[in-house]
Amino acid sequence: MCLQNFPCQEVERHNKPEVELKTSTELLLNPVLICRNEAEKCLVETSINSIRVSVKVKQADELENILAKKFLRFLSMRAEAFQVLRRKPVQGYDISFLITNYHCEDMHKHRLVDFIVQFLEDIDKEISELRLSVNTRGRLVATEFLKQFI
Amino acid sequence: MPAVEVHQLAQCITCHAWSPDRTMVALCPNNAEVHIYKFTMEKWERVHVLFKHDQIISGIDWSLRSNKIVTASHDRNSYVWNHEGSEWVPTLVILRLNRAALCVQWSPKENKFAVGSGAKTVCICYYEPENNWWVSKLIRKRHDSSVTSVAWHPDNIFLATTSTDGKCRVFSTFIKGVDTKDSGTSSSRDLKFGEQIVQLDLSSSWSFGVKWSPSGNTLAYAGHNSTVYFVEDVRNSPSAHNVAYRNLPLRDLLFVSERMVIGVGFDCNPMVFTKDDTGLWSFAKFLEERKTAQSNSKYGSQFSEAFGKLYGQSRHGVNDGVDSLRARGIAHENTITCIIPLQKEGDKIVRRFSSSGLDGKVVIWELDYSTDITE
Repeated sequence: MCLQNFPCQEVERHNKPEVELKTSTELLLNPVLICRNEAEKCLVETSINSIRVSVKVKQADELENILAKKFLRFLSMRAEAFQVLRRKPVQGYDISFLITNYHCEDMHKHRLVDFIVQFLEDIDKEISELRLSVNTRGRLVATEFLKQFI
Repeated sequence: MPAVEVHQLAQCITCHAWSPDRTMVALCPNNAEVHIYKFTMEKWERVHVLFKHDQIISGIDWSLRSNKIVTASHDRNSYVWNHEGSEWVPTLVILRLNRAALCVQWSPKENKFAVGSGAKTVCICYYEPENNWWVSKLIRKRHDSSVTSVAWHPDNIFLATTSTDGKCRVFSTFIKGVDTKDSGTSSSRDLKFGEQIVQLDLSSSWSFGVKWSPSGNTLAYAGHNSTVYFVEDVRNSPSAHNVAYRNLPLRDLLFVSERMVIGVGFDCNPMVFTKDDTGLWSFAKFLEERKTAQSNSKYGSQFSEAFGKLYGQSRHGVNDGVDSLRARGIAHENTITCIIPLQKEGDKIVRRFSSSGLDGKVVIWELDYSTDITE
């Protein structure tokens, strides 16, 4: 995470994350893709003044798929509160973080890394909890519903 | 401990420069202003605020003899500030740039300065007395990307540049009417303005922080792939020597003597590179010593941390990075972006220098040659 202030080469008086613009190839580094399997992967794209981390979280079944989609949408809509969260994930991923040189200027780098790791762990935890509670609730509702036929 | 003074002067400093008598420091607190601080009555006092730019300032240089400040900014402009009475008066520089200016440096004779820019050009600026402004001549179509730093050869003619296309180039900047025929050596005299002398294509990644050695024989620059490139005998038969190291990349370099270079960057701790008797450069040590006893305990804790991770009890940020740096009393807590020598005029070796970084500190370092070189 070695980022620096770098003004745009293409547009006058602009300063934009190069990893989003992708206008000058020499300012980008090779992206790193880390995969456990097709469903769980993480893409790290770096440039001179910004870094983008995109994650696809584990989705074992339909239920988890719906839960993850809803939950991550809920988080993305509040992206401003998290600063490094991107409002819209990169195509093919569930959630994206965008870290620029400005974040590195006023935050400690290792704390940022900790934050993202913690965030992803919490998402995993939250989704499995949601899944459990949906299942329990479904079972309860079904029991109640079927009681009337006894 | 070679760090003699640590001053917290702002939230975040992009660049700084010292007055000729070293009592005042001009710095940019990561916005469009230049603050000049003076050391009086045991504390730093803000004496001037120079406000003319409207975007972040990327480069400041304070000339030693003529007492002028030149600033370059992302708003495509550059100003030369003159001290008249008690005020600093700006003079416009016609840069003719359409992209941000990224770095600036006065030439050794202080009749010219060079501005590197995001427009893939370098401007060589000189004063025109009849119009009372600084005009520029551009070196075009040589760079494939933004120019990240410029450095003047001591002969006032050659200029070295580094760029984000990974190359380091040396140009002739002979301007008729500004440079006299006898100012350069015989080889530099018949070169036209903007002629490329050498192009060094050593780095595979972006390059930063080019510097000449005091004699002008050696050129050094840093690559973003954690390598420092030393080029000897640039003019006649360049021979390159690469030094790769394990730590994070460097942003800026400083020659303290012909055989010693200090590098600063993302690692928060200045690194010392030295040349041995056979002419080989190598990484010597960190300027701020990491104590061995403490590092032993650190390895132990790292091991136990890894052990804990194995059993699913990982804890975050307990014993890493800046926390441990602060615990060991290391001066900078974030990336160091700028390193400036603090020697008296005529001194061949730099004993004192200052560094500033994104943590808003200006740190003055003093080298103790008797121990630092022999170690």
